[in-house]
Amino acid sequence: MSAVAAITVSGLSKSFGSLQALHEVNFTVPRGEIFAYLGPNGAGKTTTIRILAGLLQRDAGEVSVCGADVAREPVFVKERIGVVPDESNLYPELTCRRNLEYLGELYGLRRKVRTSKATELLSFFDLADRGATPFGALSRGLKRRLTIAAALVHDPELVFLDEPTSGLDVPSARALRELIRTINLQGATIFLTTHNLQEAEALSQRVLILIRGRVAAQGTPGEIRQRVRRLNLLEVSFSPEIEAGPLLKACPAVLQAFPQNGVWRLEAAEVHASLEQLVAFAAAAGVRISAISTPTASLEDAFMSFLQEGGPEVEAVP
Amino acid sequence: MSQWRRALAISWKDIESYYGKPPLVTWGLLFPGVLLLSLYVKDPDTYLAIAPGVIAMTLLFGNTSMAAIVVTFEKRAGTFQRLLLAPLSMRTIILGKAASASLYGIATALALSLGLVFVLGMTLINPLIFGIGLILGAMCFSLLGLAAAVVVREVFEAMTLMNFFRFPILFISGVFMPLSQLPPWLKPLAYASPLTYVVELLHLGVAGRSEFTGPVVPLLATLLFLLASWLLTEALFRRRAWA
Repeated sequence: MSAVAAITVSGLSKSFGSLQALHEVNFTVPRGEIFAYLGPNGAGKTTTIRILAGLLQRDAGEVSVCGADVAREPVFVKERIGVVPDESNLYPELTCRRNLEYLGELYGLRRKVRTSKATELLSFFDLADRGATPFGALSRGLKRRLTIAAALVHDPELVFLDEPTSGLDVPSARALRELIRTINLQGATIFLTTHNLQEAEALSQRVLILIRGRVAAQGTPGEIRQRVRRLNLLEVSFSPEIEAGPLLKACPAVLQAFPQNGVWRLEAAEVHASLEQLVAFAAAAGVRISAISTPTASLEDAFMSFLQEGGPEVEAVP
Repeated sequence: MSQWRRALAISWKDIESYYGKPPLVTWGLLFPGVLLLSLYVKDPDTYLAIAPGVIAMTLLFGNTSMAAIVVTFEKRAGTFQRLLLAPLSMRTIILGKAASASLYGIATALALSLGLVFVLGMTLINPLIFGIGLILGAMCFSLLGLAAAVVVREVFEAMTLMNFFRFPILFISGVFMPLSQLPPWLKPLAYASPLTYVVELLHLGVAGRSEFTGPVVPLLATLLFLLASWLLTEALFRRRAWA
């Protein structure tokens, strides 16, 4: 595999009428990585994927996918990428096996190769017993799995996953995340968009946050978290349980309190003063502080912080 | 695997999914069959004057409708995006889609024609010209159906757009009335209609005579319309297929 990056984007811009969907977007995805492309609804994530997959023309900028410009060499690029759209869009009237074999034909695979590839993928995605079932008759989770399988029929170097676990139940989503990891370990670069920030944090080596078509931040999940202004967070457990009202009344340094599975997550104006007030409150109320900690910001905290700051202070990590 | 074989794969899949279904075949045959039977019952001696026109009309309505319905349906379902994501040239996609629709039209028109030959005793003076007329007409009309499908989002929009052209040309293209009997001011419009030349080729195939002295003019005109349809469809697909 060559050292050329899987994706290089420089100064990418795209407008729809007066709406600027992407503005001077720059990023690079090294080969072999899982790269999470995050942003709120309407940030420009799907527009980016559509441009990178050759479905949409860009207005300005340079785009290299698998070493070529998709606008100039669309067939070359499309032979090397697999795309899983946010909607599972295989042919509902065709069986699972026929769907995979037909897509294999469109990618130029010979009959023997596409037959064995379909068998291999049905087995890998735990759909071996569904080969003769029409795609339209599958459950949502199984449809998603087959749609991902379809994107892998030609062994692509780079796979675009647009909201892969959206709408799935917890076990299906977890199983799918494991499959994504395995696909990546087998050598494919993954370009992932998701609203599930825990998923992005768990899966990806690098993250880009896009807000209103501009890059707000990019780097490893750790780098992104560090770049957020220090949040004064406290997590406290009381025994027995307490109510929010008396707590906030007794501790003016605590600005907000959110219960989370028996633990109070507190946003404080000042940590030291809050701790003193919490200890005094516990003694006065006759409750015991059973655990207390100062958690680090999660990727979700960082994402919300970028969002609340009202858009990007455009920054990029080389 | 060449782009040709990929176009063949698209065609075969469409035949498997849509065109090979029995309701579609009967839908294509029922209306023209009943129409010709009524004409035959009314006057067995003159129905032949109209039969080639009805066969051409079957091609026009069947091919434009089915090509447009299939593409519009796939655009709505998101499956058309599969073709755009695959390593296919735009010409391959158009060729694959147009070939399957054309095969459907040819099969329907051929079934109708064979019915007329074996049941109602129609003769084919020049089967070669008749076959060429069917093939060129089917291809031309399929391409026009694809062109309509790519500029709209809904099936009913495609039908409305096409009916705007299909119904008027039905009356000026020699289907029900020979070109020679048209008022002079309508004749230029008749010569601008692709259906006119397909009807005349079929007349030549069935009766050996037409409004033109031989097959050259209608043949060349149909080829020109076919080329123009291809160029129009390709231009529209390049601009609008992603919409």
